[in-house]
Amino acid sequence: MNKHHDRIKKWKLATEKGMQRFPERKETFTTSSELTVDRLYGLEDERYPMEKLGLPGEYPFTRGIQPTMYRARYWTMRQYAGFGSAEETNKRFRYLLEQGQTGLSVAFDLPTQIGYDSDHVMAKGEVGKVGVAIDSLEDMEALLRGIPLDQVSTSMTINAPAAVLLAMYIVVAQKQGVASHLISGTIQNDILKEYIARGTYIFPPQPSMRLITDIFAYCKEHVPKWNTISISGYHIREAGANALQELAFTIANGMAYVEAALAVGLEIDDFAPRLAFFFNAHNQFFEEVAKFRAARRIWAKLMKEKYKAQNPKSWQLRFHTQTGGSTLTAQQPDNNIVRVTLQALSAVMGGTQSLHTNSRDEALALPTEDSARIALRTQQIIAHESGVADTVDPLAGSFYVEQLTDEMEQGVANYLDKIEALGGAVAAVEQGYMQREIHHTSYETQKAIERGEEVIVGMNSFKMENEPQPELLRVDPSLGEKQKEKLAALRNTRDQNRVSAQLEALQRGAQGTDNLMPLIIACVESYCTIGEICGVLRQEFGEFTGV
Amino acid sequence: MEKKIRVLVAKPGLDGHDRGALVISQALRDYGMEVIYTGLRQTPAQIVAAAIQEDVDAIGLSCLSGAHNELFPEVMKGLKERGADDIIVIGGGVIPWEDIPFLEQAGIQKIFTPGTPLQETAIYIEKAVRERDGLPVTGNVTPPERIDHIGIAVASLDEVLPFYVNVLGLTLEAIEEVSTQQVKVAFLQIGNVRLELLEPMSDQSAVAQFIAKRGQGVHHIALGVTDLTERIAELKAQGIKMIQDQPVPGAGGANIAFIHPASTHKVLFELCEKPVVKGGVS
Repeated sequence: MNKHHDRIKKWKLATEKGMQRFPERKETFTTSSELTVDRLYGLEDERYPMEKLGLPGEYPFTRGIQPTMYRARYWTMRQYAGFGSAEETNKRFRYLLEQGQTGLSVAFDLPTQIGYDSDHVMAKGEVGKVGVAIDSLEDMEALLRGIPLDQVSTSMTINAPAAVLLAMYIVVAQKQGVASHLISGTIQNDILKEYIARGTYIFPPQPSMRLITDIFAYCKEHVPKWNTISISGYHIREAGANALQELAFTIANGMAYVEAALAVGLEIDDFAPRLAFFFNAHNQFFEEVAKFRAARRIWAKLMKEKYKAQNPKSWQLRFHTQTGGSTLTAQQPDNNIVRVTLQALSAVMGGTQSLHTNSRDEALALPTEDSARIALRTQQIIAHESGVADTVDPLAGSFYVEQLTDEMEQGVANYLDKIEALGGAVAAVEQGYMQREIHHTSYETQKAIERGEEVIVGMNSFKMENEPQPELLRVDPSLGEKQKEKLAALRNTRDQNRVSAQLEALQRGAQGTDNLMPLIIACVESYCTIGEICGVLRQEFGEFTGV
Repeated sequence: MEKKIRVLVAKPGLDGHDRGALVISQALRDYGMEVIYTGLRQTPAQIVAAAIQEDVDAIGLSCLSGAHNELFPEVMKGLKERGADDIIVIGGGVIPWEDIPFLEQAGIQKIFTPGTPLQETAIYIEKAVRERDGLPVTGNVTPPERIDHIGIAVASLDEVLPFYVNVLGLTLEAIEEVSTQQVKVAFLQIGNVRLELLEPMSDQSAVAQFIAKRGQGVHHIALGVTDLTERIAELKAQGIKMIQDQPVPGAGGANIAFIHPASTHKVLFELCEKPVVKGGVS
């Protein structure tokens, strides 16, 4: 008799009970040869490493955070999109929803991400380039027009001014008649990795952490279905880190947010269930799978043992994955479809909750509609044709994958010790520790590629002469001017007294310790622009100027 | 000691992706240049001011946000206004091919697309700076890749071929007349190298003169290269004398050029570029 017999029996009963509410996609799953595919394999084995793996949906969640995983529901296919004006992006969103996408993901242009209006001198040339330009509530209304916010979950890649964009979303929903406790989505809101890798910071670390904990506290009360942060390894990896560094630094940042929230008096179980993660998927398939599985186990142990969370939801590391932009080559761009497929498969084998697959032309420009469609189809083929989603955590028990998973966990522990010795993640960032580690890896990798020790197909090997040049997407260069005109019109028509009064109230709030979210919402409702709101906060908080 | 080349690596605009800028900075430093990195979010005016203040020879602009068509020309304009347009400006990032002519017209000397080797960028800057300053371009000769063949001057192919074929047992691949050199050539393959037996077709042939002066024997060693025109330019920049300043057709469809023995301590070297097979793998 299996020594875990009772626990397994209990798990089976609980799972079947849960399935009455959330049934699986099919009554029975079979292969092409009519072999039955079980929900889970390995349980009959006397040597099943219960301590390390747990059961799906149970601590430490190595095998996934739900008991039935993709047998019940596929991951959310969430393609990041956004360019040009709010109206154009709204069209692309509706197109993607029609094509079967199940969640929205908004890319903002750089002025929006750094809290400048489109008519600011620093915004020259950047308006609408890498995402949609949002200056005020007016643009947000255009962006979300005709999209049912009670049915669609929306992820917004916004960090330093995350509070402002969340406020806009809440207000647009209210105007649609959807109460804030019904909306769901994610803001990235991960400022630490901006200092480390991505560069769209505004304020220094300390006031930035305050904005984040204000959001945690506000959402706990008013927007309970919102993921208040997406702690991101993605950009750390893109900046040149390896898989282990990506995971270690992300976990270290996550711990810093938890500790900041605890320090201002929040209870761990009040905010921890709404923490989400965002990882990268590069080409080394098994290492990526191991990274995802290790991530869940490490976080569960930290939350339960170190931070004493009681709610099992607090232990669960939920994550979004995006395939690796920096692995794509400008040469022979169609090869990138294959890279993306492998990377996406690793995310699925690793149990991701949602997935963005990159488009083949991203090393050259923003994706065209054709490329964006192929990227989405890649996910759909993995989901509907490959059968990999029919059993839970299929790579568990592989000697290789399990050992890699253990080694990832140990490697992360070593990094966490180093970071703790430096005074935690915020101090390590301020000292440039992570930045240096990443740069070292990225430079060594680049040199290995150039020596030909790392083969990049189509780039340093298997090259082609006279490559055809693909069609690329162009963003309308006149958009900057149009957006400026729109802003000028807004400034003329809105209630200027109300704008000034709300900005002054925000300023006073920033000087004190009150939660800033209600004040920011009031500003947004009065059509204060993002530049005005962030301008007030810049005055009070100062600006970060690099390490 | 020669003055080190100074380069300003700059991130114009709001783009925060500086992995490429950091890697290039380090590669240029490792190559022996002095590099100043501006950090993120620089306006074109700030970049121009920094370049002048730091007295740099070159600026490397990096932009991945798509704002290059607006921001790069602004930098050029600023340099011109301040009389500093002798500074060499190059660019990189996510830049579509179709934008390159526009940027080059605006005065950017070269745009490097993703996948460019680090060394190539360093060599390019060094060369451009030295050319600007009227200095000989040194230290950037691309070494030859292999021995392509060894040329042996013979009075008569018919007389010597039996030794190579019957005694040494080599396979005769072909016999070809090269009119530009006034020689008849027999090819024999040994491993990756060939022997080329050269029989003069007239008294004007260089090979005939060689035999008259020094007798039959080893005539030249051919070094395999790619981009022959570039290689000739590199050697000439070193003060090396060429017999042919431009590639001329040689045997077997190759392009060739001889280095003058006066520059090589009396050994006759030929640079030889074999035609590329299209669509092949490398």
